[in-house]
Amino acid sequence: MDLSDAVIDHLRHVAALPDLTGTRYELESEIGRGGMGVVYRARDRQLDRPVALKVMDAVLAGEAQLIARLEHPSIVPVYEAGMLPDGRAFYAMKLVSGASLDRFIASGPTLSERLRVIRRVGEALAFAHARGVMHRDLKPQNVMVGEFGEVYVMDWGVEAVAGTPAFRAPEATLDRRSDIYSLGALLRSVLPVPAPPALLAIAAKAMRTDPAARYPDARALLADIERFQDGLAVEAWSEPLWHRVRRFGSRNAVLLWLLAAYAGVKFLLFFFRNI
Amino acid sequence: MDPDTTMGGPHGRFPATQLSLLEAAGSGVFPNEALERVSALYWKPVYRFIRAKFGKSNEDAKDLTQGFFATALERDFFGRFDPAKASFRAYLRMAVERFAANEQASAGRLKRGGSIEFEPVDEQAVATESPEEIFEREWRRQLFALALDDLRGYCVASGKGSQFDIFAAYDLSADGRPSYADLAAKHSIAETAVTNYLAWARRMLRHFVNERLRGVTAGERDLRDEMRWLWT
Repeated sequence: MDLSDAVIDHLRHVAALPDLTGTRYELESEIGRGGMGVVYRARDRQLDRPVALKVMDAVLAGEAQLIARLEHPSIVPVYEAGMLPDGRAFYAMKLVSGASLDRFIASGPTLSERLRVIRRVGEALAFAHARGVMHRDLKPQNVMVGEFGEVYVMDWGVEAVAGTPAFRAPEATLDRRSDIYSLGALLRSVLPVPAPPALLAIAAKAMRTDPAARYPDARALLADIERFQDGLAVEAWSEPLWHRVRRFGSRNAVLLWLLAAYAGVKFLLFFFRNI
Repeated sequence: MDPDTTMGGPHGRFPATQLSLLEAAGSGVFPNEALERVSALYWKPVYRFIRAKFGKSNEDAKDLTQGFFATALERDFFGRFDPAKASFRAYLRMAVERFAANEQASAGRLKRGGSIEFEPVDEQAVATESPEEIFEREWRRQLFALALDDLRGYCVASGKGSQFDIFAAYDLSADGRPSYADLAAKHSIAETAVTNYLAWARRMLRHFVNERLRGVTAGERDLRDEMRWLWT
Protein backbone atom coordinates (compact mmCIF):
# COMPACT_ATOMS: atom_id res chain seq x y z
CA MET A 1 0.00 0.00 0.00
CA ASP A 2 1.51 3.32 -1.06
CA LEU A 3 0.80 5.85 1.65
CA SER A 4 1.60 9.51 1.15
CA ASP A 5 2.93 11.61 4.03
CA ALA A 6 -0.35 13.54 4.07
CA VAL A 7 -2.38 10.33 4.50
CA ILE A 8 -0.07 9.14 7.29
CA ASP A 9 -0.37 12.47 9.09
CA HIS A 10 -4.13 12.27 8.75
CA LEU A 11 -4.19 8.70 10.10
CA ARG A 12 -1.97 9.64 13.03
CA HIS A 13 -4.35 12.46 13.83
CA VAL A 14 -7.67 10.63 13.50
CA ALA A 15 -6.49 7.41 15.16
CA ALA A 16 -5.13 9.38 18.11
CA LEU A 17 -8.37 11.30 18.71
CA PRO A 18 -10.23 9.83 21.69
CA ASP A 19 -13.34 7.87 20.79
CA LEU A 20 -15.89 9.19 23.31
CA THR A 21 -18.68 6.85 22.21
CA GLY A 22 -20.70 5.83 25.25
CA THR A 23 -19.35 8.60 27.47
CA ARG A 24 -21.09 11.79 28.58
CA TYR A 25 -18.44 13.96 26.94
CA GLU A 26 -18.26 15.69 23.60
CA LEU A 27 -14.86 16.62 22.22
CA GLU A 28 -14.29 20.32 21.51
CA SER A 29 -10.59 21.02 21.02
CA GLU A 30 -7.09 20.08 22.08
CA ILE A 31 -5.64 22.11 24.95
CA GLY A 32 -2.18 20.67 25.38
CA ARG A 33 0.14 17.69 25.57
CA GLY A 34 2.40 16.30 28.21
CA GLY A 35 2.59 14.12 31.25
CA MET A 36 1.77 10.90 29.39
CA GLY A 37 -1.26 12.18 27.59
CA VAL A 38 -3.17 14.80 25.70
CA VAL A 39 -5.60 17.20 27.35
CA TYR A 40 -8.75 18.18 25.47
CA ARG A 41 -11.44 20.68 26.16
CA ALA A 42 -14.72 18.78 26.18
CA ARG A 43 -18.32 19.36 27.19
CA ASP A 44 -20.09 17.31 29.80
CA ARG A 45 -23.49 16.88 28.14
CA GLN A 46 -25.25 15.79 31.32
CA LEU A 47 -24.18 18.74 33.45
CA ASP A 48 -23.74 21.11 30.54
CA ARG A 49 -20.36 22.37 31.63
CA PRO A 50 -16.91 22.45 30.08
CA VAL A 51 -14.30 20.04 31.41
CA ALA A 52 -10.66 19.27 30.76
CA LEU A 53 -10.37 15.70 29.55
CA LYS A 54 -7.00 14.02 29.84
CA VAL A 55 -6.50 10.96 27.68
CA MET A 56 -3.48 8.86 28.55
CA ASP A 57 -1.10 7.70 25.81
CA ALA A 58 -1.02 4.17 27.14
CA VAL A 59 -3.20 2.06 29.36
CA LEU A 60 -2.40 3.80 32.61
CA ALA A 61 -5.44 4.04 34.80
CA GLY A 62 -3.46 4.70 37.98
CA GLU A 63 -2.93 8.42 37.51
CA ALA A 64 -6.60 9.40 37.83
CA GLN A 65 -7.09 7.42 41.04
CA LEU A 66 -3.88 8.92 42.29
CA ILE A 67 -5.07 12.47 41.74
CA ALA A 68 -8.65 11.79 42.82
CA ARG A 69 -7.22 11.06 46.28
CA LEU A 70 -5.73 14.54 46.46
CA GLU A 71 -8.36 17.03 47.56
CA HIS A 72 -6.55 20.32 47.98
CA PRO A 73 -7.31 23.91 46.95
CA SER A 74 -4.22 23.95 44.72
CA ILE A 75 -4.74 20.58 43.04
CA VAL A 76 -7.17 20.39 40.12
CA PRO A 77 -10.22 18.37 41.20
CA VAL A 78 -10.95 15.20 39.23
CA TYR A 79 -14.63 14.68 38.38
CA GLU A 80 -14.51 11.23 36.85
CA ALA A 81 -12.09 8.58 35.65
CA GLY A 82 -12.81 5.90 33.09
CA MET A 83 -11.72 3.86 30.12
CA LEU A 84 -12.30 4.69 26.46
CA PRO A 85 -13.55 2.01 24.06
CA ASP A 86 -10.00 1.77 22.67
CA GLY A 87 -8.61 0.84 26.09
CA ARG A 88 -7.00 4.17 26.90
CA ALA A 89 -7.61 5.59 30.34
CA PHE A 90 -9.04 9.08 30.67
CA TYR A 91 -10.14 11.40 33.41
CA ALA A 92 -12.28 14.51 33.44
CA MET A 93 -11.23 17.41 35.62
CA LYS A 94 -12.11 21.01 36.27
CA LEU A 95 -11.32 23.23 33.32
CA VAL A 96 -9.12 25.95 34.76
CA SER A 97 -9.14 29.25 32.95
CA GLY A 98 -6.03 31.28 33.46
CA ALA A 99 -2.41 31.31 32.42
CA SER A 100 0.39 28.83 32.89
CA LEU A 101 3.09 30.01 35.28
CA ASP A 102 5.55 30.94 32.53
CA ARG A 103 2.94 33.19 30.92
CA PHE A 104 1.98 34.62 34.28
CA ILE A 105 5.63 35.51 34.93
CA ALA A 106 5.92 37.07 31.48
CA SER A 107 3.17 39.51 32.49
CA GLY A 108 5.59 41.01 35.07
CA PRO A 109 4.06 40.34 38.50
CA THR A 110 5.67 41.67 41.68
CA LEU A 111 8.13 39.58 43.67
CA SER A 112 5.53 39.04 46.34
CA GLU A 113 3.02 37.71 43.77
CA ARG A 114 5.65 35.38 42.34
CA LEU A 115 6.49 34.04 45.78
CA ARG A 116 2.80 33.59 46.60
CA VAL A 117 2.46 31.23 43.63
CA ILE A 118 5.56 29.27 44.67
CA ARG A 119 4.18 28.96 48.20
CA ARG A 120 0.86 27.62 46.92
CA VAL A 121 2.73 25.10 44.77
CA GLY A 122 4.89 24.10 47.74
CA GLU A 123 1.82 23.62 49.93
CA ALA A 124 0.20 21.37 47.31
CA LEU A 125 3.44 19.41 47.06
CA ALA A 126 3.69 19.00 50.84
CA PHE A 127 0.07 17.83 50.93
CA ALA A 128 0.61 15.28 48.14
CA HIS A 129 3.86 14.01 49.65
CA ALA A 130 2.08 13.44 52.94
CA ARG A 131 -0.27 11.12 51.01
CA GLY A 132 2.52 9.31 49.28
CA VAL A 133 2.07 10.97 45.89
CA MET A 134 4.91 12.56 43.99
CA HIS A 135 4.58 14.99 41.13
CA ARG A 136 7.65 13.97 39.08
CA ASP A 137 7.31 16.64 36.43
CA LEU A 138 6.96 20.00 38.14
CA LYS A 139 7.58 22.86 35.70
CA PRO A 140 6.01 26.24 34.87
CA GLN A 141 3.74 24.70 32.22
CA ASN A 142 2.19 22.45 34.88
CA VAL A 143 1.20 25.29 37.16
CA MET A 144 -1.87 27.34 36.29
CA VAL A 145 -2.64 30.74 37.76
CA GLY A 146 -6.36 31.44 37.52
CA GLU A 147 -7.95 34.79 36.76
CA PHE A 148 -8.75 35.33 40.46
CA GLY A 149 -5.24 34.44 41.57
CA GLU A 150 -5.97 30.79 42.37
CA VAL A 151 -3.05 28.44 41.77
CA TYR A 152 -3.40 24.88 40.47
CA VAL A 153 -0.70 22.26 40.13
CA MET A 154 -1.53 19.91 37.26
CA ASP A 155 -0.19 16.75 35.62
CA TRP A 156 0.60 14.75 38.71
CA GLY A 157 2.97 12.10 37.60
CA VAL A 158 3.09 8.40 37.34
CA GLU A 159 6.08 6.07 37.24
CA ALA A 160 6.73 6.36 33.54
CA VAL A 161 7.12 10.13 33.38
CA ALA A 162 10.75 11.10 33.03
CA GLY A 163 10.47 14.81 33.82
CA THR A 164 11.55 17.90 31.94
CA PRO A 165 15.35 18.32 31.78
CA ALA A 166 15.66 21.88 33.15
CA PHE A 167 13.46 21.05 36.14
CA ARG A 168 14.31 17.40 36.66
CA ALA A 169 16.59 16.28 39.48
CA PRO A 170 19.80 14.61 38.28
CA GLU A 171 19.34 11.34 40.19
CA ALA A 172 18.19 8.31 38.22
CA THR A 173 15.65 7.14 40.76
CA LEU A 174 13.18 9.85 41.68
CA ASP A 175 11.81 10.31 45.17
CA ARG A 176 10.26 13.15 47.16
CA ARG A 177 13.57 15.02 47.26
CA SER A 178 13.47 15.07 43.46
CA ASP A 179 10.25 17.10 43.67
CA ILE A 180 12.07 19.46 46.07
CA TYR A 181 14.71 19.92 43.38
CA SER A 182 12.00 20.78 40.85
CA LEU A 183 10.38 23.20 43.30
CA GLY A 184 13.76 24.91 43.66
CA ALA A 185 14.10 25.08 39.87
CA LEU A 186 10.59 26.50 39.69
CA LEU A 187 11.48 29.14 42.29
CA ARG A 188 14.61 30.09 40.37
CA SER A 189 12.63 30.35 37.14
CA VAL A 190 10.18 32.87 38.59
CA LEU A 191 12.73 35.18 40.20
CA PRO A 192 13.29 38.59 38.64
CA VAL A 193 16.73 39.77 37.53
CA PRO A 194 18.58 40.75 39.65
CA ALA A 195 17.14 38.42 42.28
CA PRO A 196 17.64 38.74 46.05
CA PRO A 197 20.66 36.58 46.95
CA ALA A 198 18.74 34.90 49.78
CA LEU A 199 16.12 33.60 47.34
CA LEU A 200 18.79 32.43 44.91
CA ALA A 201 20.41 30.60 47.83
CA ILE A 202 17.08 28.93 48.71
CA ALA A 203 16.69 27.75 45.10
CA ALA A 204 20.32 26.56 45.05
CA LYS A 205 19.90 24.60 48.27
CA ALA A 206 16.79 22.90 46.91
CA MET A 207 18.69 22.07 43.73
CA ARG A 208 21.79 20.50 45.28
CA THR A 209 23.04 17.48 43.35
CA ASP A 210 23.11 15.41 46.53
CA PRO A 211 19.47 14.85 47.53
CA ALA A 212 20.47 14.66 51.21
CA ALA A 213 21.83 18.22 51.04
CA ARG A 214 18.48 19.63 49.85
CA TYR A 215 15.62 20.69 52.09
CA PRO A 216 14.19 17.60 53.77
CA ASP A 217 10.67 18.48 52.61
CA ALA A 218 8.58 21.15 50.90
CA ARG A 219 7.59 22.74 54.23
CA ALA A 220 11.23 23.41 55.13
CA LEU A 221 11.70 25.21 51.82
CA LEU A 222 8.50 27.22 52.33
CA ALA A 223 9.62 28.13 55.84
CA ASP A 224 12.82 29.60 54.39
CA ILE A 225 10.83 31.66 51.89
CA GLU A 226 8.65 32.90 54.75
CA ARG A 227 11.75 33.86 56.72
CA PHE A 228 12.92 35.87 53.73
CA GLN A 229 9.57 37.61 53.45
CA ASP A 230 9.61 38.38 57.18
CA GLY A 231 13.07 39.95 56.84
CA LEU A 232 14.77 37.17 58.82
CA ALA A 233 17.94 35.27 57.97
CA VAL A 234 17.31 32.27 55.73
CA GLU A 235 18.68 28.84 56.49
CA ALA A 236 20.15 28.42 53.02
CA TRP A 237 22.47 31.41 53.12
CA SER A 238 25.16 32.51 55.53
CA GLU A 239 24.96 36.17 54.68
CA PRO A 240 27.93 38.59 54.91
CA LEU A 241 28.03 41.06 57.80
CA TRP A 242 27.15 44.12 55.70
CA HIS A 243 24.09 42.32 54.41
CA ARG A 244 23.05 41.34 57.93
CA VAL A 245 23.39 44.96 59.02
CA ARG A 246 21.40 46.19 56.05
CA ARG A 247 18.66 43.60 56.69
CA PHE A 248 18.61 44.61 60.35
CA GLY A 249 18.27 48.19 59.22
CA SER A 250 15.38 47.57 56.89
CA ARG A 251 13.58 45.35 59.44
CA ASN A 252 13.97 47.94 62.21
CA ALA A 253 13.72 51.08 60.15
CA VAL A 254 11.17 52.77 62.41
CA LEU A 255 13.14 52.03 65.54
CA LEU A 256 16.33 53.27 63.94
CA TRP A 257 14.64 56.44 62.77
CA LEU A 258 13.31 57.03 66.28
CA LEU A 259 16.75 56.42 67.75
CA ALA A 260 18.31 58.76 65.23
CA ALA A 261 15.68 61.41 65.99
CA TYR A 262 16.26 60.97 69.71
CA ALA A 263 20.02 61.26 69.22
CA GLY A 264 19.52 64.33 67.06
CA VAL A 265 17.33 66.03 69.64
CA LYS A 266 19.77 65.17 72.41
CA PHE A 267 22.58 66.60 70.35
CA LEU A 268 20.70 69.81 69.65
CA LEU A 269 19.79 70.20 73.30
CA PHE A 270 23.40 69.62 74.27
CA PHE A 271 24.52 72.06 71.61
CA PHE A 272 22.10 74.83 72.62
CA ARG A 273 22.87 74.36 76.30
CA ASN A 274 26.53 74.93 75.69
CA ILE A 275 26.44 77.98 73.53
CA MET B 1 17.70 7.95 -9.71
CA ASP B 2 16.74 4.31 -10.14
CA PRO B 3 13.45 3.33 -8.60
CA ASP B 4 13.25 1.99 -5.06
CA THR B 5 12.93 -1.70 -4.48
CA THR B 6 9.65 -3.45 -3.82
CA MET B 7 11.36 -5.97 -1.54
CA GLY B 8 10.37 -6.00 2.11
CA GLY B 9 6.84 -4.89 1.24
CA PRO B 10 3.89 -5.15 3.59
CA HIS B 11 3.13 -8.54 5.02
CA GLY B 12 -0.51 -9.59 5.08
CA ARG B 13 -0.33 -11.80 8.17
CA PHE B 14 -2.77 -11.02 10.95
CA PRO B 15 -0.88 -10.42 14.15
CA ALA B 16 -2.01 -12.05 17.32
CA THR B 17 -1.14 -10.13 20.48
CA GLN B 18 2.57 -9.95 20.04
CA LEU B 19 5.30 -10.62 22.50
CA SER B 20 7.80 -7.86 23.00
CA LEU B 21 11.30 -8.49 21.72
CA LEU B 22 12.57 -9.39 25.17
CA GLU B 23 9.57 -11.60 25.92
CA ALA B 24 10.22 -13.36 22.63
CA ALA B 25 13.81 -13.90 23.77
CA GLY B 26 12.59 -15.56 26.93
CA SER B 27 10.02 -17.74 25.16
CA GLY B 28 12.49 -19.57 22.95
CA VAL B 29 11.15 -18.26 19.64
CA PHE B 30 13.88 -15.68 19.65
CA PRO B 31 15.63 -14.63 17.53
CA ASN B 32 14.15 -15.91 14.25
CA GLU B 33 10.58 -14.87 14.91
CA ALA B 34 11.69 -11.57 16.36
CA LEU B 35 13.92 -10.94 13.35
CA GLU B 36 11.01 -11.61 11.02
CA ARG B 37 8.91 -9.00 12.79
CA VAL B 38 11.74 -6.53 12.88
CA SER B 39 12.61 -6.94 9.23
CA ALA B 40 8.93 -6.63 8.21
CA LEU B 41 8.87 -3.18 9.75
CA TYR B 42 12.46 -2.07 9.30
CA TRP B 43 13.49 -3.38 5.91
CA LYS B 44 12.34 -0.36 3.93
CA PRO B 45 13.45 2.28 6.45
CA VAL B 46 16.91 0.67 6.57
CA TYR B 47 17.10 0.47 2.80
CA ARG B 48 16.07 4.12 2.35
CA PHE B 49 18.43 5.21 5.08
CA ILE B 50 21.38 3.46 3.41
CA ARG B 51 20.49 4.99 0.08
CA ALA B 52 20.24 8.48 1.54
CA LYS B 53 23.17 8.29 3.93
CA PHE B 54 25.70 6.45 1.76
CA GLY B 55 24.45 7.35 -1.71
CA LYS B 56 24.06 3.71 -2.71
CA SER B 57 22.31 2.43 -5.83
CA ASN B 58 19.12 0.44 -5.55
CA GLU B 59 20.96 -2.90 -5.89
CA ASP B 60 23.81 -1.99 -3.54
CA ALA B 61 21.39 -0.68 -0.93
CA LYS B 62 19.32 -3.86 -1.22
CA ASP B 63 22.45 -6.00 -0.77
CA LEU B 64 23.56 -3.97 2.23
CA THR B 65 20.10 -4.12 3.80
CA GLN B 66 19.91 -7.85 3.25
CA GLY B 67 23.45 -8.18 4.59
CA PHE B 68 22.59 -6.19 7.66
CA PHE B 69 19.67 -8.40 8.65
CA ALA B 70 21.66 -11.58 7.93
CA THR B 71 24.56 -10.32 10.01
CA ALA B 72 22.21 -9.22 12.79
CA LEU B 73 21.10 -12.82 13.15
CA GLU B 74 24.67 -14.16 13.12
CA ARG B 75 26.11 -11.67 15.56
CA ASP B 76 23.51 -11.74 18.30
CA PHE B 77 22.38 -8.23 17.43
CA PHE B 78 19.20 -8.48 19.53
CA GLY B 79 20.98 -10.01 22.49
CA ARG B 80 23.25 -6.99 22.74
CA PHE B 81 20.38 -4.50 22.80
CA ASP B 82 20.15 -2.69 26.12
CA PRO B 83 16.73 -1.00 26.50
CA ALA B 84 18.11 1.19 29.29
CA LYS B 85 20.38 3.00 26.82
CA ALA B 86 18.15 3.72 23.83
CA SER B 87 14.95 2.78 22.09
CA PHE B 88 15.20 -0.23 19.82
CA ARG B 89 14.53 2.04 16.85
CA ALA B 90 17.51 4.25 17.69
CA TYR B 91 19.70 1.21 18.45
CA LEU B 92 18.88 -0.38 15.11
CA ARG B 93 19.51 2.79 13.11
CA MET B 94 22.90 3.29 14.73
CA ALA B 95 23.76 -0.35 14.10
CA VAL B 96 22.84 0.02 10.43
CA GLU B 97 24.99 3.10 10.17
CA ARG B 98 27.98 1.32 11.68
CA PHE B 99 27.41 -1.76 9.54
CA ALA B 100 27.09 0.19 6.27
CA ALA B 101 30.10 2.37 7.11
CA ASN B 102 32.21 -0.73 7.82
CA GLU B 103 31.06 -2.39 4.64
CA GLN B 104 31.86 0.74 2.69
CA ALA B 105 35.31 0.98 4.28
CA SER B 106 36.00 -2.68 3.43
CA ALA B 107 34.93 -2.11 -0.16
CA GLY B 108 37.19 0.93 -0.30
CA ARG B 109 40.14 -1.08 0.99
CA LEU B 110 39.54 -3.74 -1.63
CA LYS B 111 39.79 -1.07 -4.28
CA ARG B 112 43.10 0.00 -2.67
CA GLY B 113 41.87 3.34 -1.62
CA GLY B 114 39.59 3.88 -4.57
CA SER B 115 37.18 6.72 -4.03
CA ILE B 116 33.68 6.01 -2.81
CA GLU B 117 31.09 6.30 -5.52
CA PHE B 118 28.25 8.55 -4.59
CA GLU B 119 25.21 8.32 -6.71
CA PRO B 120 22.76 11.17 -6.95
CA VAL B 121 19.95 10.62 -4.50
CA ASP B 122 16.52 12.12 -4.39
CA GLU B 123 17.37 15.82 -4.53
CA GLN B 124 14.26 16.95 -2.80
CA ALA B 125 14.90 14.57 0.07
CA VAL B 126 18.49 15.78 0.39
CA ALA B 127 17.39 19.38 0.46
CA THR B 128 14.75 19.00 3.15
CA GLU B 129 15.44 15.85 5.15
CA SER B 130 18.42 14.21 6.77
CA PRO B 131 18.93 10.44 6.29
CA GLU B 132 17.80 10.04 9.92
CA GLU B 133 14.57 11.88 9.16
CA ILE B 134 14.05 9.74 6.08
CA PHE B 135 14.53 6.67 8.26
CA GLU B 136 11.92 7.87 10.77
CA ARG B 137 9.47 8.82 8.04
CA GLU B 138 9.81 5.48 6.29
CA TRP B 139 9.48 3.71 9.61
CA ARG B 140 6.15 5.44 10.25
CA ARG B 141 4.99 4.75 6.70
CA GLN B 142 5.84 1.06 6.97
CA LEU B 143 4.30 0.78 10.42
CA PHE B 144 1.00 2.18 9.15
CA ALA B 145 1.17 0.08 5.99
CA LEU B 146 1.56 -3.09 8.07
CA ALA B 147 -1.19 -2.08 10.47
CA LEU B 148 -3.52 -1.29 7.55
CA ASP B 149 -2.83 -4.74 6.12
CA ASP B 150 -3.70 -6.18 9.51
CA LEU B 151 -6.88 -4.14 9.63
CA ARG B 152 -7.91 -5.17 6.14
CA GLY B 153 -7.23 -8.82 6.91
CA TYR B 154 -9.22 -8.59 10.11
CA CYS B 155 -12.17 -6.89 8.38
CA VAL B 156 -12.26 -9.50 5.61
CA ALA B 157 -12.04 -12.36 8.11
CA SER B 158 -14.78 -10.96 10.33
CA GLY B 159 -17.24 -9.89 7.65
CA LYS B 160 -16.65 -6.16 8.12
CA GLY B 161 -15.68 -5.37 4.55
CA SER B 162 -18.04 -2.36 4.39
CA GLN B 163 -16.39 -0.83 7.42
CA PHE B 164 -13.00 -1.09 5.77
CA ASP B 165 -14.27 0.20 2.43
CA ILE B 166 -15.78 3.27 4.08
CA PHE B 167 -12.66 3.84 6.12
CA ALA B 168 -10.43 3.45 3.05
CA ALA B 169 -12.60 5.77 0.95
CA TYR B 170 -12.52 8.46 3.59
CA ASP B 171 -9.28 8.19 5.56
CA LEU B 172 -6.94 6.79 2.90
CA SER B 173 -8.03 9.17 0.19
CA ALA B 174 -5.06 11.15 -1.07
CA ASP B 175 -7.08 13.72 -3.02
CA GLY B 176 -10.33 15.03 -1.57
CA ARG B 177 -12.52 13.14 0.88
CA PRO B 178 -16.10 12.19 0.05
CA SER B 179 -18.81 13.54 2.34
CA TYR B 180 -20.42 11.31 4.95
CA ALA B 181 -23.69 11.72 3.02
CA ASP B 182 -22.06 10.43 -0.20
CA LEU B 183 -20.59 7.44 1.61
CA ALA B 184 -23.91 6.71 3.31
CA ALA B 185 -25.74 6.82 -0.02
CA LYS B 186 -23.15 4.67 -1.76
CA HIS B 187 -23.30 1.95 0.90
CA SER B 188 -27.04 2.36 1.61
CA ILE B 189 -26.54 3.07 5.29
CA ALA B 190 -27.37 6.00 7.59
CA GLU B 191 -24.88 8.83 8.03
CA THR B 192 -24.57 7.99 11.72
CA ALA B 193 -23.48 4.50 10.67
CA VAL B 194 -20.68 6.09 8.61
CA THR B 195 -19.56 7.97 11.73
CA ASN B 196 -19.64 4.77 13.76
CA TYR B 197 -17.83 2.73 11.12
CA LEU B 198 -15.08 5.33 10.88
CA ALA B 199 -14.72 5.52 14.67
CA TRP B 200 -14.52 1.73 14.86
CA ALA B 201 -11.98 1.41 12.05
CA ARG B 202 -9.77 4.15 13.50
CA ARG B 203 -9.88 2.51 16.89
CA MET B 204 -8.91 -0.83 15.34
CA LEU B 205 -6.14 0.80 13.32
CA ARG B 206 -4.73 2.29 16.50
CA HIS B 207 -4.89 -1.16 18.07
CA PHE B 208 -3.03 -2.80 15.19
CA VAL B 209 -0.38 -0.08 15.09
CA ASN B 210 0.22 -0.51 18.81
CA GLU B 211 0.36 -4.28 18.43
CA ARG B 212 2.96 -3.97 15.69
CA LEU B 213 4.90 -1.66 17.96
CA ARG B 214 4.68 -4.12 20.82
CA GLY B 215 6.32 -6.75 18.64
CA VAL B 216 9.38 -4.58 17.98
CA THR B 217 9.93 -2.98 21.36
CA ALA B 218 11.73 -4.24 24.43
CA GLY B 219 8.90 -4.13 26.95
CA GLU B 220 6.23 -1.89 28.42
CA ARG B 221 8.48 1.11 28.98
CA ASP B 222 9.96 1.05 25.50
CA LEU B 223 6.48 0.48 24.06
CA ARG B 224 5.00 3.43 25.96
CA ASP B 225 7.83 5.70 24.80
CA GLU B 226 7.35 4.64 21.20
CA MET B 227 3.58 5.07 21.42
CA ARG B 228 4.08 8.49 22.87
CA TRP B 229 6.54 9.41 20.17
CA LEU B 230 4.24 8.15 17.44
CA TRP B 231 0.89 9.48 18.60
CA THR B 232 1.78 12.86 20.07
